[in-house]
Amino acid sequence: MSFAQPNPAPIAALAHDRAAVMAELRRLIPRMGEQRKPLPFGLAAIDSHLPDGGLACGALHEVVPAAEGCVAAAFGFIAAVLARLAYPLLFVMPAYGLRPYRPHGRLHGHGLNALGLDPARLILVETTHRKETLWAMEEAVRSAVPAAVVGLIDTLDLKTSQRLHLAATEAGLPVFLLRPAPTLESSAAATRWRIGTAKAARDRFGLVTQPRWHLQLERCRNGRPGQWVVEYDHVAHRFSLAAALADFSRVRGAGEKSIKQAS
Amino acid sequence: MNAAAEAAGLATGDLLADARAKAEFLQVRDADPAADDAALRRLALWATRYTPTASPLCRDLWNEDNGADGFFLDITGSAHLFGGEEKLLADLAARLQKNFGLSARLAVAATPGAAWALSRFHQTPLFVLPSGQEATALAPLPIAALRLKPETRSVLRRLGFKTVGSLLDKPRAPFAARFPTELLRRVDQALGRIDEPLVPVVAPPVYHALRYLIEPIFTHDAIIAHANRLMQTLVHVLTRDDVGARALRLCLYNVDGAVETIDIGLTLPTRNVSHVARLIELKLEALAATCDAGFGFEAIGLAVTCAEPMPARQTELTPSHPSPASGGGSGWGDGDRTERCAALIDALRQRLGPHSVRRFAPEASHLPERAEVLPPIDGEATAWPEAEQNPRPLLLLPHAEPAEDVTALVPDGPPRRFSWRGVTYDITGAQGPERIAGEWWRHREPKPTRDYYLVEDSAGHRFWLFREGLYGRETAQAQWFVHGLFA
Repeated sequence: MSFAQPNPAPIAALAHDRAAVMAELRRLIPRMGEQRKPLPFGLAAIDSHLPDGGLACGALHEVVPAAEGCVAAAFGFIAAVLARLAYPLLFVMPAYGLRPYRPHGRLHGHGLNALGLDPARLILVETTHRKETLWAMEEAVRSAVPAAVVGLIDTLDLKTSQRLHLAATEAGLPVFLLRPAPTLESSAAATRWRIGTAKAARDRFGLVTQPRWHLQLERCRNGRPGQWVVEYDHVAHRFSLAAALADFSRVRGAGEKSIKQAS
Repeated sequence: MNAAAEAAGLATGDLLADARAKAEFLQVRDADPAADDAALRRLALWATRYTPTASPLCRDLWNEDNGADGFFLDITGSAHLFGGEEKLLADLAARLQKNFGLSARLAVAATPGAAWALSRFHQTPLFVLPSGQEATALAPLPIAALRLKPETRSVLRRLGFKTVGSLLDKPRAPFAARFPTELLRRVDQALGRIDEPLVPVVAPPVYHALRYLIEPIFTHDAIIAHANRLMQTLVHVLTRDDVGARALRLCLYNVDGAVETIDIGLTLPTRNVSHVARLIELKLEALAATCDAGFGFEAIGLAVTCAEPMPARQTELTPSHPSPASGGGSGWGDGDRTERCAALIDALRQRLGPHSVRRFAPEASHLPERAEVLPPIDGEATAWPEAEQNPRPLLLLPHAEPAEDVTALVPDGPPRRFSWRGVTYDITGAQGPERIAGEWWRHREPKPTRDYYLVEDSAGHRFWLFREGLYGRETAQAQWFVHGLFA
């Protein structure tokens, strides 16, 4: 039993000095804190609901469109969150033409560009079935090359999600799963977001300036659920709360009024 | 014709009725040149175990009139691996007999022409001609040994030339005047006065390593272990020449003569043994269903088919699992990241197919469906222009889908209501139009102009709609289409 056991003498000597022990531990676990730095939204209202004040890196996050027509909004939310990351991003998605994904069309580079995500930084991986998608995601996560991995998955059992979550934790990468709305099993994901559409922010000429989404944090490990209407500024890569957030109906009414004024 | 037919006295060129009379139980099949070529090609592929440059005498490669019934091997520099040319010939003949049941006639000579002639017309089936003696060796052989057209041969026979020797000591000028260039070219080729390049069955590799196994191997692990060692030998050469492999080919020679080839493409030049071994492993996994080890593999070859310059770099000191970077500022060099990114792309590609890993690239076009392409990743990304002022949807439908029941207040205005895929949307706000004209320089029939609108319905869904055709000028009944969805 002598191996792997640290020499007790120095530890005992240090035990008197708590700060020294902490320093020693920090030295022994290098870059731990730096690696796990979460991704903040920059919005106190949302960040206070999340553990450590942001979306955890090294965790699995599920993003679910609130309804069939909200797929684009869910994509937009993911793109907005990822736009601030610096390194290549990996999108794993079934090749276009596979049935469940057919109606939504495919990602448009100029549209990503308009959301502030440089399409040149995106690596698209096309797969032919779910098993390949999972394999490709895990491979990418374990390599720790991309800054984030996004995948489109229709069904996912608990064990597979645990496996993905574990891989994400080891590599310290955020992994996003875009799930179609109706099927939701229990999963190991740290957060589950439900994304709905909301009327866009318009300027005084009635032109759309910033997209707005209705975010619902449905599940959050070590955090609190909540819901907000946010708007996203693609130039500054910044989220902000859309007007009076608590009263969703008022937001809707306000948007209609401004459009009426414009038209 | 097989040996039994020859024993019965049959010869090529006999009439079928005569042949039937000579041999009662004759089985007749139509000649199938394409199948012959394919078989010969497989045989030549098998023969790459002796040398990388094997050239089957297929019709499409050589266009020979004299029978597509053999292959050339360029054994320059590889004969010593088998203990000399005689031993190589003996080994080749034995294996052809054992694996394929072929009794071959083989000859080694300094020129393809001389080897062709000697293999067919020399008394001994296995013959090695020392370099420089082509003229004396060829002299007693018949004119047919020169690979001439039948017409040329019959003219020469009428003129009284029976052997090659009788041609060699004659002055060249009368022949050049009397015959097409073919005759003198063939003579020169046989004697090595002009070069005759071989057309290889597979592109000859730049670097090549081959290993013969005492016992046949079956398992993936064994294949990978041997490939690993082959790559290690190649790495020395690659490092010496400051190049890295961009494409590799693994050849597995089955005991029964079949050859499995596995091609591996790489995004960046590499000399990394473990990376290559991993790619081979992925490919073998994907092939496991179709690839059959059969009696096992008796030889294994790894070839670099494409090499690119790659400056030497120190790699050993970098840790294997650097920290992932979130939000920039990682401590690792860009070169290392690019390399690991390329490794990831290679791995994904090996398993999912060569076209599965893509990237967006902009195209100079105003039509949304033509404004970008998704090429497989190769090298550096093309930079994207600044985002457009006009709105662009996040999701683009591959084909614009017609919108039905469109109501607009004025014909030229934005729609107030439309239905798409069975759902009716009431539009509360619209923005546009953005007019995009058809590309008249690409189509003879000009495509109609499109007016794009960003519309938003009462629930906040945002669509990209367009009206096709200008009223009055292009159409009387404009059609509406849904082309994209905004985030």
